[in-house]
Amino acid sequence: MSDSETQQCKAWFSQAVDDCMSSLYAMAMRLTNNSADAEDLVAEAVTKAWKSLHLLQQRERFRPWIYAIQRNLFISQYRKKRARPDTSSYDSLSEGCSGGEIAALLIEQPDDFLSWWANPEETFVNGLLGEEIVRALEALPEAFRETVILVNLEGLAYDEAAEALGVSPGTIRSRMNRGRTLLQKQLWLHAIDAGLVSQDRLMESSR
Amino acid sequence: MTKHDHTDHESGIIDSDCLEAFDHVYAYINGELHDEETRARIEHHLSHCKSCYSRAEMERKINERLKMAEKPSPPEQMKKRLKDLIDGL
Repeated sequence: MSDSETQQCKAWFSQAVDDCMSSLYAMAMRLTNNSADAEDLVAEAVTKAWKSLHLLQQRERFRPWIYAIQRNLFISQYRKKRARPDTSSYDSLSEGCSGGEIAALLIEQPDDFLSWWANPEETFVNGLLGEEIVRALEALPEAFRETVILVNLEGLAYDEAAEALGVSPGTIRSRMNRGRTLLQKQLWLHAIDAGLVSQDRLMESSR
Repeated sequence: MTKHDHTDHESGIIDSDCLEAFDHVYAYINGELHDEETRARIEHHLSHCKSCYSRAEMERKINERLKMAEKPSPPEQMKKRLKDLIDGL
């Protein structure tokens, strides 16, 4: 590569990193729970991405590609330091849900919750703050948490999230089904604790 | 839009249309349901089943709230560190 090509490539790389820096940092913070470690992790991911740039086949896939690099670096170097336990073995739904599994997910919702959400105009979600939902999200088991974060917070398409996490798009769909169901349950319980669902309304909906 | 009240979810008896809707509703809300026939079936079901429609609406609302949630911003020192790092590569 000539000097001028290298400079062009570096200018593109610099812009690409800049475009996803906020997301890389947010993801690193969620992984490490520590700003100093998060900064180191992002810096290492950027360095490794530059060194491996010849392996990136399509520049438009830069974002999921560097996410995958950062995540793999975290798993190989940082995980031992992290307080949050690893709970990543949740792939019984790896390639799509069977009818029985879907039915099980549907009926495990509390009855009063099901009755309540049948009234969307009064949905308790209106009373929740984005930060409260993020906290509930962060309490999910790891495999579901990182999938929902990549799709719903970082805006990755399913195939991009699959690339970032090294799984199939079918696995992303399954994890979304499971993760979002768990999230709804967490939010419902939180809404009751926070008094967003009145006792009168609860009694009414359980009749 | 008329929706019949689909209370079967609560008794644990769920029809096959509800099962299909549940399997696809998250992909549908996230714009990831690319098969036109399946999407048309899900839309038709959501227009008739109050429970599944409500689930979809709740998902939309949760997504809206998530988009409004504040993300941790990269500190200025990190931006400078990355700029220096890339300049030195």
